[in-house]
Amino acid sequence: MTNGKKLHLTLRPLRQSIPMAHISENGSEKKMAEGGNDAELLKEKANKYFKEKDYENAIKYYSEALELNPSNAIYYSNRSLAYLRTECYGYALADATKALEVDKNYIKGYYRRATSNMALGKFKAALKDYETVVRVRPNDKDARMKYQECNKIVKQKAFERAIASDETKKSVVDSLDIENMTIEDDYTGPKLEDGKVTLKFMKEMMDWFKDQKKLHRKCAYQTEKITICGDTHGQYYDLLNIFKLNGLPSDTNPYLFNGDFVDRGSFSVEVILTLFGFKLLYPNNFHLLRGNHETDNMNQMYGFEGEVKAKYTAQMFQLFSEVFQWLPLAQCINNKVLVMHGGLFSEDGVTLEDLRKIDRNRQPPDSGPMCDLLWSDPQPQNGRSISKRGVSCQFGPDVTERFLEQNKLDFIVRSHEVKAEGYEVTHSGKCITVFSAPNYCDQMGNKGAYIHLRGSDLKPEFHQFTAVPHPNVKPMAYANTLMQLGMM
Amino acid sequence: GRAAGRESPMAARQPFTDTDTADEAVRATCDDATTCKRFATSKGYWKDPYIQYFVRSVGDRKAPEINRGYYARVQGVNHLLDAFLRKTQCDCQVINLGAGLDTTFWRLKDENLMPRKFFEVDFPTVVARKIHNIKTKPPLSKPIIETHSTDSLLLDAHSLESDRYCIIGADLRDISSLDEKLKKFQLNPELPTLLLSECVLVYMTPSHSSNLVHWAAETFHTAMFINYEQVNMSDRFGQVMIENLQRRQCTLAGVEACQTLDSQKDRFLKTGWEHVDALDMMTVYSMLPQDDVARIERLEFLDEKELLQQLLQHYNICWATKDKLNLGNAHFNVSLMNGYVSCERTSK
Repeated sequence: MTNGKKLHLTLRPLRQSIPMAHISENGSEKKMAEGGNDAELLKEKANKYFKEKDYENAIKYYSEALELNPSNAIYYSNRSLAYLRTECYGYALADATKALEVDKNYIKGYYRRATSNMALGKFKAALKDYETVVRVRPNDKDARMKYQECNKIVKQKAFERAIASDETKKSVVDSLDIENMTIEDDYTGPKLEDGKVTLKFMKEMMDWFKDQKKLHRKCAYQTEKITICGDTHGQYYDLLNIFKLNGLPSDTNPYLFNGDFVDRGSFSVEVILTLFGFKLLYPNNFHLLRGNHETDNMNQMYGFEGEVKAKYTAQMFQLFSEVFQWLPLAQCINNKVLVMHGGLFSEDGVTLEDLRKIDRNRQPPDSGPMCDLLWSDPQPQNGRSISKRGVSCQFGPDVTERFLEQNKLDFIVRSHEVKAEGYEVTHSGKCITVFSAPNYCDQMGNKGAYIHLRGSDLKPEFHQFTAVPHPNVKPMAYANTLMQLGMM
Repeated sequence: GRAAGRESPMAARQPFTDTDTADEAVRATCDDATTCKRFATSKGYWKDPYIQYFVRSVGDRKAPEINRGYYARVQGVNHLLDAFLRKTQCDCQVINLGAGLDTTFWRLKDENLMPRKFFEVDFPTVVARKIHNIKTKPPLSKPIIETHSTDSLLLDAHSLESDRYCIIGADLRDISSLDEKLKKFQLNPELPTLLLSECVLVYMTPSHSSNLVHWAAETFHTAMFINYEQVNMSDRFGQVMIENLQRRQCTLAGVEACQTLDSQKDRFLKTGWEHVDALDMMTVYSMLPQDDVARIERLEFLDEKELLQQLLQHYNICWATKDKLNLGNAHFNVSLMNGYVSCERTSK
């Protein structure tokens, strides 16, 4: 906002009264009501500095005048102008507002405020004030001109916004006709097998790239898919299996892991270090979202803290805790699909803009959008209910519908709940759950799943997998809970 | 099955058979139960001031669903047991089959709810261990001594007998030996008797368990048999549990009877019991006094309710009765919901 210039106000003893000579004011300025001849003197001094373009001193003496007479609209207005000249637009706005508070009929105040708002890029607000001036002074050419100028800008901005959203609707994907692309005979590079990416293709492509050759664009367009995984919960060997089945992460094989990487499973450290490693390796094509288990409370109870302290140090755990706080809470794919670990909100009307504004570098609060993103669950019936978890809420298909409509989205993908088949489609396809920890806790016998989402159609494709063996880790304070055999 | 009572240490050691390994694994489950109860009580799920004398250390943290599961088990079984004791005005016997390191006798003594005699039966090595603990820990031995009429208790390596408490080393698969031992220690078939088995029958073959429950029906004319163990085992969760236990050489030889609540009931109806009921632990959990349930749920936050649900749905309490003295067992108030619920009769 400002250019950093600061005004230092110092308290001075009142001056002795000096007999005042008549001071002539500029035409339209009001005369001061009473008292504070000293204030007037100070104001005159400030005006002089202003004329000489010594804005710092002008501000200084307007401020002193205000100390003696704090309910003078002119002083505020003049100081506001001085601030404008020194590009302190925030202070200018504050002073203009104060001037109008003191005297709502003070036309110059509206001018000042409008100018400040223009400088701050708040054109709609500026337009309102210009409107006021024009209404009160219909013959003021300058006022009319400023109003028209401002109006033009406001209209231009609205137009830009409108066409911007139109443009994102028409993505490149829609204009591609991949089906009818042909691959030339002399292309010797890797080709998709049946239009599908296979491990063989991946390996060939990686080698092809290694030789600095180019993949045919037909294949390049069609590798525009992302794999979304749900909870992995320290099940490192099952994570390795996902990479075996679906390929290692790379810039052409992007992944999104939707939270709950640690706790419960006894190999949480291995999981999280692997995921962080890939994040560093492919920052634009490997994404991690925060789950409710990327928090101190859960880590303390469900094993991750114990595991880190056992394998490393308490300080290491502190570091994980800090990093977890920076994990993003949600991700939007192609402006159509929103992914978060938990679900939607305890109240209607939450927008994507609201989510962007969340200050996430913290432990989640007990309620509110940040809490809901990590904790809520869908329910089959309409409306909302108290969550069976005791935190956040359960939300029905109507809530999903309204949220998607308001934010111009197609569906949400979330995780957070174990599902026998590894995934579940609810709310008429608008709410999808994906869970990637098979045989959860070595007990549940569930399948894991991951989703392929192609940019071309954004139709989710589900892939299921079962648990693989893992080492019989020697029971430790954190791992022991997962080797429970039930109630013997 | 193995004969009760070991040969002297000087005799030639017999080679370890498969049965030996299986039995050893079964005995080890006694430790699982005890350590889980030790942890849960240390967290305040229920009070048991005696378990610390059987296992000193609180041990590793257990998952919240495990603690809640044990809470449901202990509350459910105790409700039934206590109801029987009150109904018979303690003029009865209790036999805890496969008792392990259970502390019920001491609880009943504290609560003035002791039956005429409390019997415990388990493998000789388990019993030897328990006797050792009793002998060396005054809080355990005092209540027994206090309730005994003379100065000395009858005590050997695998049994301890007092007026009100008796613990016997025996193999539950050897019925004649079991019967002989119990009668030697003054088991009275004329008294209303409660038999209790918690995760016991599932470790023996259906034929062995059938013999056991049949013997009970034949021996006592007025009795209740409470059986707590697995149920609904034919699904994925059940399969995984069986596999997990197998990896510890622990075979659920009697899992056939654990397919459904009906199969649990059938084993009693087919062996001479008159009425039988069974509830899965999910149902029991919902019928326990809900203010106390709310209290324990606040002890530890459970992150995935589905884990508890699956666990509870795969265990059950089944209780069978025969009631020659017409004590009113047919209308037995289960008292699981403070008297609101009366169990339904299921007759042949």
